[in-house]
Amino acid sequence: MNSVGEACTDLKREYDQCFNRWFAEKFLKGDRSGDPCTESFRVYQRCVQKAIREKEIPVDGVDFMGPDKGSGKDRSFFSFNAS
Amino acid sequence: MKIWSTEHVFSYPWETVIKAAMRKYPNPMNPNVVGVDVLDRGLDTEGRLHSHRLLSTEWGLPGIVRAILGTNHTQTYVKEHSIVDPEEKKMELCSTNITLTNLISVDERLLYRPHPDNPEVTVLTQEAIITVKGVSLSSYLEGMMARRMSANARKVSIIW
Repeated sequence: MNSVGEACTDLKREYDQCFNRWFAEKFLKGDRSGDPCTESFRVYQRCVQKAIREKEIPVDGVDFMGPDKGSGKDRSFFSFNAS
Repeated sequence: MKIWSTEHVFSYPWETVIKAAMRKYPNPMNPNVVGVDVLDRGLDTEGRLHSHRLLSTEWGLPGIVRAILGTNHTQTYVKEHSIVDPEEKKMELCSTNITLTNLISVDERLLYRPHPDNPEVTVLTQEAIITVKGVSLSSYLEGMMARRMSANARKVSIIW
């Protein structure tokens, strides 16, 4: 699967591989220590955030309330900022 | 507006289904999603894993619909927030589109839990609110989106 930034796809795969291993072998088995992928995530994020800015994807235009706080009037889970 | 919910049962334990759900993309059976990025991820104080992801999707709307909607932007972006609780054995996932919001909004909520009577089986509850704004094709498009989302959620059971 590709990244939104073409240049970030290899970095994303490296991070995904690290995360998926931790998720299956540690997290789901009750190990509560955080994932060890911080460094590859940081490098990948730098690339992705740049691509998001360049493509003007409005990732911050949505006030994401999250699954536990849904209390909108006509929108159950999310509320949008006017844009 | 179409509010719609459904339930699927997978013949696998919760852990197996959750592993597949976290890797739901790439899925050769679901070409709608062409890109996935993690924007933020971390554990909360209760040991639950929160992930915020950005999905790039290609809806593949029929040409006539694109013409009526007046857009060639068939690529749209979806933001997704998931919470995995390994103690409670619960995964909750909410998503909403962040582009084309002047035309359509699709809010989806998925909940994966073990079957109360059989831990070898997992139940997925899916809810969606689909609103197409200001076009006479509303009900056609809403119906089409609802059918497609239902089919896509079920595809997670496929192991390839």
